[in-house]
Amino acid sequence: MDVVDLARTQFAVTGSLHFLFVVLTLGLAPLVAIMHTRYAITGNPLHERMTRFWGQIYVINYALGVFTGLVMEFQFGLSWSGLSHYAGDVFGAPLAIETLVAFFLESTFLGLWIFGWHRLPRALHVTCIWLVTLTAYASAFWIMVANSFLQHPVGSVEQGGRLVLRDFGALLTNPNLVFALPHVISAGLWTGGFVVMGASAYHLFRRTKEQEFFTRSLRMGVVTAFIGSLFTVGFGYAQFGVIEATQPDKFDAAPEAALGLMIGIGQLLQFGVMFLLLPLLFRNLLARWRWLHPVLMLITPLPFVAAIAGWLVREMGRQPWLVYGKLSVADAMTPGLSRTAITGSFIGFAGLLGLLAIIDYLLIARAVRRGPEQVSLGMPDRPAEPAPMPAHSL
Amino acid sequence: MEIIWFGALAVLLVGYFALEGFDIGLGILLPVLGRSQEDRDRLVGAMAPFVLAGEVWLVALVGVLFGAFSTLEGAVLSGLYPLVVALLLTWIVRDAGLWFRRRADGAAWRTLWDGAICLGSAGLALTWGMTLVALARGLSAPLLAPAGVAGGIVVALAFCLHGWTFAAWRLPGDPAVRGARRTGRALLLTALTAAIPAVLAVAVVASALIEHAAPPETLTTLGAIVLPCVPILVGAQVWVWRTFSRGALPTFF
Repeated sequence: MDVVDLARTQFAVTGSLHFLFVVLTLGLAPLVAIMHTRYAITGNPLHERMTRFWGQIYVINYALGVFTGLVMEFQFGLSWSGLSHYAGDVFGAPLAIETLVAFFLESTFLGLWIFGWHRLPRALHVTCIWLVTLTAYASAFWIMVANSFLQHPVGSVEQGGRLVLRDFGALLTNPNLVFALPHVISAGLWTGGFVVMGASAYHLFRRTKEQEFFTRSLRMGVVTAFIGSLFTVGFGYAQFGVIEATQPDKFDAAPEAALGLMIGIGQLLQFGVMFLLLPLLFRNLLARWRWLHPVLMLITPLPFVAAIAGWLVREMGRQPWLVYGKLSVADAMTPGLSRTAITGSFIGFAGLLGLLAIIDYLLIARAVRRGPEQVSLGMPDRPAEPAPMPAHSL
Repeated sequence: MEIIWFGALAVLLVGYFALEGFDIGLGILLPVLGRSQEDRDRLVGAMAPFVLAGEVWLVALVGVLFGAFSTLEGAVLSGLYPLVVALLLTWIVRDAGLWFRRRADGAAWRTLWDGAICLGSAGLALTWGMTLVALARGLSAPLLAPAGVAGGIVVALAFCLHGWTFAAWRLPGDPAVRGARRTGRALLLTALTAAIPAVLAVAVVASALIEHAAPPETLTTLGAIVLPCVPILVGAQVWVWRTFSRGALPTFF
């Protein structure tokens, strides 16, 4: 591999890892917010337990989204300084807004939500998780604005070898954004729905004592997956026209297998959810038919696979361009980036993030297995004073 | 407009040193102050609610660098390549320690991640010092120089002082700080001390930064969207400080 390939692979690996965690964040955040709202309104302890259990899984997953996201942000400057030099005055604006407004608030409000149990008034505490959800979606919006610009660089003109911003509104109404954004967000809901389904199926199959908890969770997961899959597929097909008009050679450059994999998984699961799982919510048949539960557990990873395949299609279909038709990937690479530097950072980032990702998934699996009885999110605070020392008797 | 965005960048860097410096410093001191697991749990519990709201200042700083000073963003980050990689790796190790230390049972597990917090924080502070020195000396100077190492030690010491003061303010009279008590005013003072290296670095690079600001169309667009949100950003930060400055300690981290 030459240096450009190494830098590209580094971006693809860290980007794919990032999206694995982000797609679940986008799906779980509104579900946790809805559970918390139900608890705040009804005071029903079941809803409190659901909020804390699924909220803890959301939070464990969120950590890796942050770690990988940090590398993504800095990587632009490390490996692709040609991009910020050529297009930074346009492409940088949505990224700046994402970090300075959306992520800044998301992280701040998430801190208030995680540590604010027993401390914030209930209404304000619920407001925090809704603000976390809102800002997470705002983040997705601005990142997709930036990404869509790379696919279809609107709103700018080239002056003196650099792009200058002319029409910011055109970035926000980019045809490559308007269908892709709901496609990605719906894929998040779908993924979140499947994780809730799979984890619920585990407890129902094992016949743990949390039958009511996971029957209700399963129902929520299926409904979420139904809504998510319907819109993911719809907005997926809707993009073909846009791609035909703006990137006619996209599917020549993209690996056909990835496109086929995404559409295959997507179509099959969407029909499965709509015609099989959704009807089986009638009289909780799905929760009662134990033989189906291993299937639900086995298909849990599929939306993740489809999501990564989708990104590969979108990004590989852009090649050899970084900014479509304007700046090639090779020209965008940092001038003089050495093989030693990129190899060293690749090993460091991929090794550390890969290891932490595995640990994180094991921790999520552990939290699922232990169930709602042993959740540390929302546990009572402890006194600021140290525990009294045991008295020494002489 | 250039001045406003330079100001934003300066505030974010200085704010990061003042508001995240104590977390990093306390992380370095964790094995020293927290001799027992019980002590370390209290120290981490004291700083935990501030970490998420503190580290976003750096995320926002790099975003502003990209959006408002785009020609510098690539040059600075790639010019400081090994330092930036080290900064990211140590930052992630520190954060992983915080997020993971209570996610499984057993003394060995928690001790392992407490070690990650300490090593990550120490690496982060040293890298920051070296980065500021490299920025001030200009990107053509060698990155690994005695001046850089000295800068790293100075920043680490300033963060430790800030971290210790934070612990004595949030846990007054606690055995982990040998019974010391510090007022909010003392904490403000060490915040200013921790921010001095950032202030100096910003002062040195100020003119180069302003020269490389993005064109007015970009800055005005950014301003129109970001400036109305500033009260919300500030309000959220104030809310965090008002909520977690006193009282019992959260137990999630």
